[in-house]
Amino acid sequence: MSARFRASSLLAIAAVVGLLGCSRSVTLDVRYPDAGVNRAMLASARPRRVDIRPLADRRADTARIGVQADGDKPIVTSRAVADIVREALVSEVQKNGHAVVADNAELVLAADVDEFWLDAVAAYASVHYVGKVALSVAVVDARTGETLVTRRYVGIRRQQAKRDDKHAGLEVMDTALSRALHDLATDVELAEAFGARLPRVRHI
Amino acid sequence: MMHVAAVLLLVGALAVSGCASSAPVRPAARPFDDVRRLTVVVSGESQFAVLEHSAEPGRTFDQVLAWNPYGAVLKPIADIVHQVINWFVEIDRKADATAELRDVSPRALVARAFEETLLASGRFEEIRTLHREPVGDERDRSNVVVRLSVPAWGLVRVREAEPDLLSAFADVRAEMVARDTGVALWQDSEDVTGPERFPLKTFTGDRQLTRQQLLDVLERAGRRLANELLYAQRAGR
Repeated sequence: MSARFRASSLLAIAAVVGLLGCSRSVTLDVRYPDAGVNRAMLASARPRRVDIRPLADRRADTARIGVQADGDKPIVTSRAVADIVREALVSEVQKNGHAVVADNAELVLAADVDEFWLDAVAAYASVHYVGKVALSVAVVDARTGETLVTRRYVGIRRQQAKRDDKHAGLEVMDTALSRALHDLATDVELAEAFGARLPRVRHI
Repeated sequence: MMHVAAVLLLVGALAVSGCASSAPVRPAARPFDDVRRLTVVVSGESQFAVLEHSAEPGRTFDQVLAWNPYGAVLKPIADIVHQVINWFVEIDRKADATAELRDVSPRALVARAFEETLLASGRFEEIRTLHREPVGDERDRSNVVVRLSVPAWGLVRVREAEPDLLSAFADVRAEMVARDTGVALWQDSEDVTGPERFPLKTFTGDRQLTRQQLLDVLERAGRRLANELLYAQRAGR
């Protein structure tokens, strides 16, 4: 057996092992649906120039977003979690009439991803999915450096699905992310930090 | 001469239609975008539940039946036994968890948080909450009604661990209806879950904590519904 043949065999084995390794995780392409983004409370403020900083990933486990029910396959995202969430923030801020800029910003939006996790609880004939997305957001006056507001948003989605449902986990995480972002977009205190002056209505 | 006039007319018509088609397309206003006065009507029954979504004893039955020649015949019976056992377990745990909750009205708490969140947004001038459908003079002031219900609330298993972890939950629904036409303007269902997680023993052993977690999740459910309504309404006009 030639050295070349042995090397080729080893490479082939390494490739097969590599491919098997890849299939030992479940990959979800979590996305915030751009088409579904609405103008909400953030649109009440006059258009601002906002610098959305790269997000800090503060999750306890950054290597995965969950583990499959009935097994130990890790669940991962196709893109970095911090990028997924930042894209969602950019989408919301832009759709609400503000410009996302890198220079000459009026406001800085600094956010951390605290949690981005999919639990899969195996029931008798189904799987109960629970997706959770938690973000910390601070709005800072870019000129003075003063922190105008610090807020936390938690989006959670529960869904029962058949054991062989391939899409439920992705739907759950998409919805959890949407809920966190919808809470952000409708937050009166965040809108006021952006400069919105909202009328105060008395409770009747 | 007639031909020239016809051609000019055609060119004119094309130009006008061209202008019309190139005008920016504005998204159509939704029928509830301009709603500023709202009557919230709380309705329906609220069922308290401790949902463990347990795989046992059904999974063990399946393992035993796999070796039994009559396994296929006995499977439906095993499924029923699984459901009945879990039903009895749930009744037992429900009794433990609800001891401090007799005065709690889930619908009223959700409705209050819903109303407060909408008012804080500044988008609504007046919101009234009723515990029955508007009658008499109330009907004149209630052109748009939101019917709000809490079909289920309680505790749900959210993580498989040793021990398993549970959270408070509330399933809520809202439907906005134009009262004079009966047309549904907006509707939403939300499965709302508390962010904190505890073992079942913590919930059954500390009734004050259980009460607080459930009150918090009901308030969260009202805010969630309100946020989705605000998000669906068009802003900045």
